[in-house]
Amino acid sequence: MSKEQEFKQKILIADDSEMNRSILTDMLESEYEIIEAENGIEAVNAIQKHGPELSLILLDIVMPEMDGFGVLEVMNKRHWIEEIPVIMISSESSSFHVERAYQMGITDYISRPFDALIVHRRVVNTIVLYAKQKKLVELVMEQIEEKEKQSSLMIDILSHTVEFRNGESGLHVVHIRALTKLFLEHLVQISDKYSFSREEISMISTASALHDIGKISIPGEILNKPGRLTKEEFDIMKTHTTIGAEMLENLSFHQDEPLVKEAYAICRWHHERYDGRGYPDGLKGDEIPIHAQIVALADVYDALTSERVYKKAFPHEKAVRMICDGECGTFNPLLLKCLTDIADTLQDSLNNTGENQTDEKELQDILEEKLQPKEISASERMVQLLEHERMKCSFYASMSEEIQFEYTMNPPMLTLSGWGAQKLGLPEIIMDPQENSKVVSIINIEDIKKLSNLLKSTSPKEPVVKYDCKVTIDGESRWMRIVAQAMRLLDEPEKFTGIIGKAVDIHEARLRLDALERMASHDTLTGLLNLGYAERRIMEHLRDDISGRYVLMLLDVDNIKEANDSRGRMFGDQILAHVAGILRQNTGESNIAARVSGDEFLYFAKCNSDEEQAARKVMSVLEGEYEGFRISVCAGTVSTEDEGKDYKELFMKADKALLEAKKGGLGQHRSYKNV
Amino acid sequence: MTLQECYQSLEGDFADVLGRLRSEKMVQKFVLKFLNDKSYDLLCSSLEEGNYEEAFRASHTIKGVCQNLSFTKLYQSSHQLTEALRNGLSPEAPGLAEQVKKDYEQTVAAIHRLQEENA
Repeated sequence: MSKEQEFKQKILIADDSEMNRSILTDMLESEYEIIEAENGIEAVNAIQKHGPELSLILLDIVMPEMDGFGVLEVMNKRHWIEEIPVIMISSESSSFHVERAYQMGITDYISRPFDALIVHRRVVNTIVLYAKQKKLVELVMEQIEEKEKQSSLMIDILSHTVEFRNGESGLHVVHIRALTKLFLEHLVQISDKYSFSREEISMISTASALHDIGKISIPGEILNKPGRLTKEEFDIMKTHTTIGAEMLENLSFHQDEPLVKEAYAICRWHHERYDGRGYPDGLKGDEIPIHAQIVALADVYDALTSERVYKKAFPHEKAVRMICDGECGTFNPLLLKCLTDIADTLQDSLNNTGENQTDEKELQDILEEKLQPKEISASERMVQLLEHERMKCSFYASMSEEIQFEYTMNPPMLTLSGWGAQKLGLPEIIMDPQENSKVVSIINIEDIKKLSNLLKSTSPKEPVVKYDCKVTIDGESRWMRIVAQAMRLLDEPEKFTGIIGKAVDIHEARLRLDALERMASHDTLTGLLNLGYAERRIMEHLRDDISGRYVLMLLDVDNIKEANDSRGRMFGDQILAHVAGILRQNTGESNIAARVSGDEFLYFAKCNSDEEQAARKVMSVLEGEYEGFRISVCAGTVSTEDEGKDYKELFMKADKALLEAKKGGLGQHRSYKNV
Repeated sequence: MTLQECYQSLEGDFADVLGRLRSEKMVQKFVLKFLNDKSYDLLCSSLEEGNYEEAFRASHTIKGVCQNLSFTKLYQSSHQLTEALRNGLSPEAPGLAEQVKKDYEQTVAAIHRLQEENA
C-alpha cells in the first residue's frame, strides 16, 4: 500500500513521557509521519485537526489533563473510533483496564515493556487491515452504483419505448420518477404513518417509471388521437392499467422482487381516485396503496405542466392551484400538503434532475443503510453483555441464600429471584403484591407499610434502609432482615420508581442475640431482671410517663442468714429463687421486679392507691413457708408523688426506709415519708 | 565503560533490552536520553507539594520508561511507589520514595559514567 502513496501515512503517538514517545517514533518514523501528543487534550486536538488522515493512534492510558480512556470516550462520542484504529500501549496490565479499553473500541493492546519488532508488526498490520476495509467499502459502493445504473438503464429503455409510441418526449418518465421521489421524501418527513427507507424510496421511484407500460397494447390511433376520445375508445384506453399489471403478474420469474410488486400496484392503481371515482377497481381513500396515489399525483402534475397533442403546457403555479382546487380529481389531503409544501422548490428540483438519478450522497446513504447490521451487532453485543450480567446476578442470587426482590410502582409488580420465590412459595412475578392474599399471609401488612414509609423518607444520598421483621416461611414464622433501596428517576430524584432489595434469614442469629440479651439482663439464680437493666427500664418509665404515680419498694427476705447457716448456702439460694418466682408470677407487664443483691429485691409498680396498702399486698403475697422455713419480708417504700422522679434519690430513700423497717423486726414496712 | 557494564552498575537487564529493542545503538541512545527525562524532578516536586495525583503519574511514567529500558531495579521500586500512590498517599509511600531516590541516583550515576567515557 505504502508504495502506491507518495506521502507518508500519519500516526499519532499520545504518551506523556517524551522517552516513550521517542522510542516509538524511532521505530516508526522511517515509514510513517509521526505526530506527537503529550496528554489527552493534545491528542484530541490532533485528531480533530488531522481527522481521517490519521492512519493509526498509539495511545497511553495514564496521562495528565485527560487520560487515554478520556480520549477514547471522545472518539466514541464523535464516531472517530469507527474511522481511526487505536492501539493502546500501557504498563497497566490489569485485565480491568484491558477489557475496558477493548470495550471502548481499541483494535489492539500492547503491554509494556514492548518488543520493538512486535509493535512495528502490529502497527503495520492494523493499518493494512483498515486500508483493506476502506477499499472494500469503496468497492461495494461502486458495485451498488453499477447495479443501480444498469437497472435504471433497462427501465428507462423500456418506458421510453412506451412513450415513443405515445409520441411523448422521454422527459415524462424522468419527471414522474423525480416527482415520486420528491413527494415520498417529503411525505416521510411530515407523517408518522409512512416510513420508507432511502432504498425503498429509490426503488419505488424506479418502479414509477413503469406506470404506463400497459399502453404498449393500446392501438396507436387511440393512443395518439388528437381529439376527444369516444366512450368506447376511452374504455379501451383505461385498460392500460390492468394490462400493465397483468404483464408484470405474468412474468415467469422475479415475482418476489419488491420492485415488481411495487410496479404492479403502481400500474394497476395509478388512475384510482381518492373519492373512489377512479379506475379500474374504484378503490377509495387509503385502499389505494400510497405509492400508487403518489404516482397519480405526479402523473397529473406532469400532464398539466407539459404540452400534449390536445393541450398546451400550464405554468407551475396554475397547475398546483388547479390540483388543490380539485379541478383534476380528488387527492389524499396529506399528498396535497406535500405538493404545496414543496411547491416553491419543485421546479428547480425537477430541472436539476439529470440523467443520473442516484447521486453520490444518496449512494452513501444507501450504503450506510446496507451497513446497518454492523450497528445491530454492536447492540447485540450490548444484549450479550446484559445477558451476561443477568446470568451473573442470578448465579449470585442462587448462591447467596438471599431472597432478592424488585418492586416497580408502575405497574405495581413484585419480581422475586428464582431462589427467593421458591423459598417463599410464591410465584416469581406478582402483580399488585399488597392485594395478594399469599403475600399478605406471609408478611404482615403493617411491616410492608412501615418499610415503605421508611424508604420514602430516605434521601438520594442515603437510600438504603434496613428493617427486621417476621416472615412466615414454610408455616414457620422467622426473623428476616430486609435491606432495600428506593429507586428514583435520575433527573427527578423526588420521584420514586420502585424498590430493589433483599431479605436475609437472621432467625437463628436473632434468637441467639435475644438469648444473649436475656442472659445479660437477667439474674441467673432468680430469673428476675438484674439491677442495671431494671434501673434503665425504671428510668424510662419515670421519664416517659410524666403524670404517672409510682411506688418503688425494696424488699429484704428475713432470716436468710440463719437459713444459710443452719441448712447450707444452697438452701438459702433455693428460698431466694422461690421468693423470686412468686414475685415474678405476680409482676404484671408494666411493673418491674429485680434482684438487687443477696436477699434484697426491688419492686417498682404503678400505684394509684395508698403506698402502705400496696406494700402490704406485696408482702402478704410473698409470705408463706418453704420446706419448713417461714418466709417473711421487710419492705421500705417511697412514692414518686412525695419524693419526685429522680431514680437515684428514690432508691436511696427506699433503702433508708428498708433499714428502718428491719430495725423494727420481721415482716415490717416503713414508708420514707414516715422515716 | 561498555553499555553492558553500565547495565550491571544500575542493576538492569541488558540481554532483555537488547532482545526487545534489537540494536545496541538504539539502546544506548535511549539510555543517554534517560538523563533528560523530567519525570523524576516532577515526582520530587509533586511529593514535596503534596500533589499525590501528579506524583502518581510521574512515578507511573518513570516505571514505564524503566520497563522499556529494562532498568530492573529502578523499575521495581518505582512500580511499588506507583501502587502506593494510586489511591492517594499511603503509609508505605514515603519509604518507597526514598528507595526510588536511591535507585534513581544509582542509575543516573551509572549513565553519567557511560556518557563521560564515550564523550
